[in-house]
Parts: sequence; structure tokens; C-alpha cells
Amino acid sequence: MSAVAQEPAVVLDRIHKQFGDLVVVRDVSLTVARGEVVAIIGPSGSGKSTLLRCINLLERADSGRVEVVGRAVEPGAGVAGRDLAALRRSVGMVFQSFNLFPHMTVLRNVSLPQERVLGRSRAEADARSRQLLERVGLAAKADTYPSRCSGGQQQRVAIARALALDPEVMLFDEPTSALDPELGLEVLAVMRELAADGMTMVVVTHEIHFAADVADRVVVMADGAVLEEGTPEQVLRSPSTERARRFLSAVVDR
Amino acid sequence: MEVLEAVLLGVPVTLLVTVAALALGAVLAVPLAAARRSRVVPLRWLGRVVIDVVRGIPPVVWLFLIFFGLGRDLIRLEPIEAGIIGLGVISAGYLAEIYRGGLSAVHAGQWEAASALGMGGTDTLVRVVAPQAFRVSLPAVTTYAISLLKDSTIVSAIGVSEILFRATQSARSTGAGLTPFFVAAAVYILLSAPLAWLSRGLDARLRARVAR
Ligand SMILES: Nc1ncnc2c1ncn2[C@@H]1O[C@H](COP(=O)(O)OP(=O)(O)O)[C@@H](O)[C@H]1O
Ligand SMILES: [Mg+2]
Repeated sequence: MSAVAQEPAVVLDRIHKQFGDLVVVRDVSLTVARGEVVAIIGPSGSGKSTLLRCINLLERADSGRVEVVGRAVEPGAGVAGRDLAALRRSVGMVFQSFNLFPHMTVLRNVSLPQERVLGRSRAEADARSRQLLERVGLAAKADTYPSRCSGGQQQRVAIARALALDPEVMLFDEPTSALDPELGLEVLAVMRELAADGMTMVVVTHEIHFAADVADRVVVMADGAVLEEGTPEQVLRSPSTERARRFLSAVVDR
Repeated sequence: MEVLEAVLLGVPVTLLVTVAALALGAVLAVPLAAARRSRVVPLRWLGRVVIDVVRGIPPVVWLFLIFFGLGRDLIRLEPIEAGIIGLGVISAGYLAEIYRGGLSAVHAGQWEAASALGMGGTDTLVRVVAPQAFRVSLPAVTTYAISLLKDSTIVSAIGVSEILFRATQSARSTGAGLTPFFVAAAVYILLSAPLAWLSRGLDARLRARVAR
């Protein structure tokens, strides 16, 4: 294997983030290998979203180092525009609330960022968009507006929109939490396929089954710190801390 | 008939003053709204002061200041130019607040999503946020345009020969009493009604397209 292939996709090194006096992420370090799927679980308010958003600098960590496919930044010391642009290009993100652009058709939603960020022509972008919409099973929806799509369809469009920029890492922040269970399943199916295709994924989720089946590694967070991490079997079957055991029995028994 | 003709002569002037002042205000309001939403505190503060001052001074006073002050001593201004500038500045103050409201109504997730996709701030504003803010602001902007159409009567105070000016003249010269003013009232209604309908139609269309 070449050195590049061994280099991790994401390295978080002693990330600290607080809002005012509230420390939300305390000295968290996490490494994600290329092609690895990491699920982050934990009670709400434990800092999962904030940690995830520190990866693509939607939140700037107060201290610590963020490295994505070999490019490192220290957000606390300032981030150069070029580094930010490069980082955003290699990381795609999917939000709980989809955040599609409501005034554009599904096709425009997927094409616009390609044109503005990668400089693709309208024709090139549209071709790529249609290919990805096909992949998420929504080729027929290209010319409709997001408001005419179900939540599950909107989330799949959001996934296509992020994939269209050819990211090396995909971040998911509770992608199914706003969806009815059946609609959540269609989104999870797309994510399973993506994982099977070798995409590096960091997924904040309450879907324990998804974590168990798809993730290579499960990370449990509580109070801004990593409580436990390991393979799904280790963490989900026999958690070593009492706090993790309590959280898991609460979500599994639901 | 004579009265009607006289009043109708004012229509193009009223429309010109209204449309030009609205256009001027629509442009000047952009930097004002931007200042109001700036991250730089003094800029935010300055934007607020400018908007409050602009809206706090009565329109007639603005017109007199511009026409008799600026227009006499510094540059030669025709009454109609002074009228457009005066109403344009006032419109900027009101439209800036309308824009600001429209921008705040756009969900923060829109900025975040665009940012996460790697789109720049200007791109995001122009392509993503402003079109949505426009949709939200449209009813308020139309309401303002209609009130501006009516309030443009005050430029008659500096001698611009718009509808009210013509009506007053006609009343004096023909001794027609209130008739010219009834005619003027009817003309204003005829002018503003289509604007209101247009706005409702447009609003419904935009809404149907993006309703969540
Ligand atoms: N922008 C913010 N400003 C202030 N507090 C925040 C902000 N974002 C998150 N928090 C707080 O940080 C804590 C962790 O939030 P979050 O990372 O969203 O947790 P989780 O995703 O695990 O539910 C919560 O108490 C939340 O209220
Ligand atoms: Mg969260």
C-alpha cells in the first residue's frame, strides 16, 4: 500500500469547543481511516453535532487540530481561505433538516453547487446530477421542487447534492431523525450502498441497527467526551462503562 | 372633461416619481440592509442611525431640505429631481428594514448547507438567500409601493406637476370645486389596484412553488 492510501481520511486531535462558558466538546481525538464508517451515538446534548461540525469547520474548534485527507488546520489559530475551500471540497455533509434550496428544482439543487464550486458547465453538472439522482432512485423527480417531495426523498436529494462534488468524506448529522420510520429506511438504504461502495462516512445517529450493521466502529459520546469506542459488537453488546450501558439499554429497549 | 384631461396629465409624472423613487430606494436599501446585518458592530449601529434618521424626518421636510437647500446652493435640481431623490432616500430607509426582515426569515440552515457545499458568501447570498428573501419581502414591498404611489402627492409641495398638483390647479382655474379631487381619487385607485392584484398573483405563484 502506498503512503497516501494509509493516510487517514480524518484526524481530530484534542478538539476543544465551548460556547461561552459551556464546554461542549472537551479534548476529543478521533481518527477515521479511508473507507471506514464511524457511527457516533450518545444522549442528546452530548456534543455529537458540534464535534461533527468541527470536522468541516461549520464550528471552529477553540483549540486542537483538524486534518482531512492530509491537509491540517488549527481552527483556533485562524483558517486560511484556501484551506477552508479545500476542506469543504473534500467533505460533504447531510443535515437532519435536509436544507435543500426550496426555490430551485431538485435538479438545480444538485447542479448549482457543482457549477459554482467546481466550475462545471451547466450541461456537465446536469449530466452528473441525473446520474446521482438515478443512483438515489429519484431520476423522475429531477424537475420537481423540494416541497413536492417527501422528507425521505428530500434527504436523498441532499445526499446526491453532496456526492455531486465528489467528496472524500461524508458527514451525516442524524439524517433520519426528522423522518417517519419507513421514509428513514429509504435513506438508510442509500447510506448502506454508499458505505458498501467504500465511502468514508461519519454518521451521528440514533439508529442502533444501522450502527450495528453498517459501521466499522461505534463511538459513544457523553458530556462532550468520548465515553467508549470500538467495533459495534464490543460497544453495543458489552459496553465497559456504566454510563454507556444505561444509554444503550435506553435506546435498544425503545 | 376638461377636468379629467387636466388630472390625467399628471399621471405620467406621478408614475415617474413613484417608479424612479422606488428604484432608487431599492438600490440604496441594499447597503443599508447589509450594514444592519453586518458583523461589525459600529457598521450595524451606523446603519440603524441612518435608517432611523431617514424615516424620522417628515417627507415634506426632506423635500424642502433637498430642493431649497441642496437644490439652490450646491447643484441645480429640477423639482421633479428633488422629489425623486427625496422620496428615494426615504424609501431606502423603509425598504432596508423590509429586506432585513426578509433576510432574517431565511432559515440559517440555508447558509450552513451552502457553506458546507463550499459555496462562498456572496454566491450564497445571491443564488440562495436573496431569492428566498425576495419572495418573503414581496408583499411588504408592494404594500410600500402602493403607499408611495399615494404619498408621492407631497412632491406637489415643491411644484412637481403630478396628479394632485394638476387637480389643485384645475380646481382653482375652473372653479369646479371638489370635482378634480374626486377624479384624482379615482385615478389613484385605478393606478394602485393593478399593483395589488399583480402582487397577490405573483406572491401566490412564488408561494405555490416553494411552500414548505
Ligand atoms: N451555537 C451554539 N451556541 C450555544 N450553544 C450551543 C450551540 N450549539 C450547540 N450548543 C449547545 O452545545 C451542547 C451540545 O450540542 P450538540 O453538539 O448539538 O449535541 P448533540 O448533537 O449531541 O445533541 C448543547 O447543550 C447545545 O445546547
Ligand atoms: Mg445533534
